[in-house]
Amino acid sequence: MQELVLIQPGRAAEKEFAQEAAQAALRREFEERLAECGPLAYRVARGVLHNSADAEDVAQEALLRAYRRFERLRDRARFRGWLVRITFRLAIDRVRSSKRREVRETLWSQSAPGPSTEDLAATSEFQAHLDRAMEKLPEKHRLVLLLAAMQGHSLEEVAEMLGLPVGTVKSRLFFARKQLAEKLRCHRK
Amino acid sequence: MPSKMKTCEDYRTALTNATAAAAEPSLELRSHLDACASCRAAFTEELQLFAAIDTGVRSAANAEVPASLLPRVRVQLNERPVLRHSWVLAGAAMAAAVALVAVIVFVRGFGGDTIPTNPQVISAARNVPPTRIQPAPPAVAPYETAGLARKHRQIRAAKTAPIVAAAVAEVAVLVPAGQKQAMDALLAGVRQGQVRADVLLAENSEKTLEDLQVSPLDVSPIEMKPLEDVGAKSPASQNEKARR
Repeated sequence: MQELVLIQPGRAAEKEFAQEAAQAALRREFEERLAECGPLAYRVARGVLHNSADAEDVAQEALLRAYRRFERLRDRARFRGWLVRITFRLAIDRVRSSKRREVRETLWSQSAPGPSTEDLAATSEFQAHLDRAMEKLPEKHRLVLLLAAMQGHSLEEVAEMLGLPVGTVKSRLFFARKQLAEKLRCHRK
Repeated sequence: MPSKMKTCEDYRTALTNATAAAAEPSLELRSHLDACASCRAAFTEELQLFAAIDTGVRSAANAEVPASLLPRVRVQLNERPVLRHSWVLAGAAMAAAVALVAVIVFVRGFGGDTIPTNPQVISAARNVPPTRIQPAPPAVAPYETAGLARKHRQIRAAKTAPIVAAAVAEVAVLVPAGQKQAMDALLAGVRQGQVRADVLLAENSEKTLEDLQVSPLDVSPIEMKPLEDVGAKSPASQNEKARR
C-alpha cells in the first residue's frame, strides 16, 4: 500500500517566492547599512591591527558575518554596535593568531620579513610606541578609546553604540588615556 | 586635625588626572600652577603628551577606508548566500532522517505483506462459523485486508481505502502452490461478503490458532566419520595420490 501525497506546485512556488522576496528585502536593508557602517568596521579593525590589508580583510569578514546573522538581529537600530563588536572581536583574534604565527616563524626561520616600506613610512616612532601601548590596554578600554577618537562620535553615541552608560564610557576613556600616558611618557621627546 | 600640606607630587598627579579626563584644572590646582614654575612646565609637558596621544589615536581610528572594501564585500555577498539558521538546517537534516526511516519501515513492512502465505490465517478463515460472518464494510478492499496482519494497518487501510481500492484491480499475489486453493476460497468469500476481513484478523482468532498442530521435528541420527576417511575420498586427496 502506498500513501499518496498530493503535491501542490502552486503553493510551493508561492512559498519559494515569499522566501526570495524576504531575502531580497533583507539584502536591501543590509546594503543600506553597508555603505554607512562599512567604514566604521574598517576603522575599528585598522585601529586594532595597525595594518591596512589585514584591516580590510577583517572588516570584510565582519561585514559578511553580520550579513549572515542579520536576520537574527531583532533590534536593527543596534546594528552599528553589533558590527563594531563583531569587528573588534575578529581583529583581536587576528592579532592573537598573528602573534602565534610570528612565534612559530621565529622558531623555524630567523629571517622573518620585517614591516613593509609602506608601514614604515606611515608609522613614526612615537606612533609605533603608541600602537604597542594600545595593544596592551584592556580590550574594553581600547574599544572605547578607538570609537571615541573616530570623527563624529560623541561620548553619548559611543555609549549608545556599546549599550553602556555615558559615565562608564567616560571612566573607560579616562583610564585608557591615563595608561597610555604612563607608558609613553618616557618616549616623549 | 590640620589638613596635610600638598606637595608638588600630589599636584602633578591631580594634573595628570585632569588632563586624562580632558577636564579643566581645579581652582586650587590653577593657583598652584601660577605659583610653581616646575609644575607649570610639567603640566605643559602633560598637555603635549596627551595631545600627541590623541593625535596618534585619531590617526589610527580615522584611517582612510580603501575604495575596494565595499565592492569586495558586495561580491562576497553575491557569492555566499545567507545561510539559514543552524536549527533550521538541523531540522531539515532530522526531517530527512525521519523520512529515510519511514521509507525503510514502509518497504520492509509491506514487502512481506504482498504474499499472504500464513497458513494460520487461512485456517482461521475456514474455522469461522458462517453465522458470524457479516458483509464486509465497503471501505476496506479485499486484497489489501487479506494481506494485513496488524491492527494499525487496518486503520491505515480504512483511511486510504479509495486509493487502495483503485489500485487493487491490478495487484498480483504470489501464493505457495499448496495454498492456492485455500486462498481462492478465502478471497471468493471476502468478495462475496461472506467473510469479513476484520474478523479474520481480529485478536480473538488466537483461540482458533490453538487448533493448529505441528508435528514434532524428526531429526535423523548423524553418522560420525573420522576425518582421515573423509579426506581420503575427497577429490583433492585423489589428485595428490595421482601425482605421487
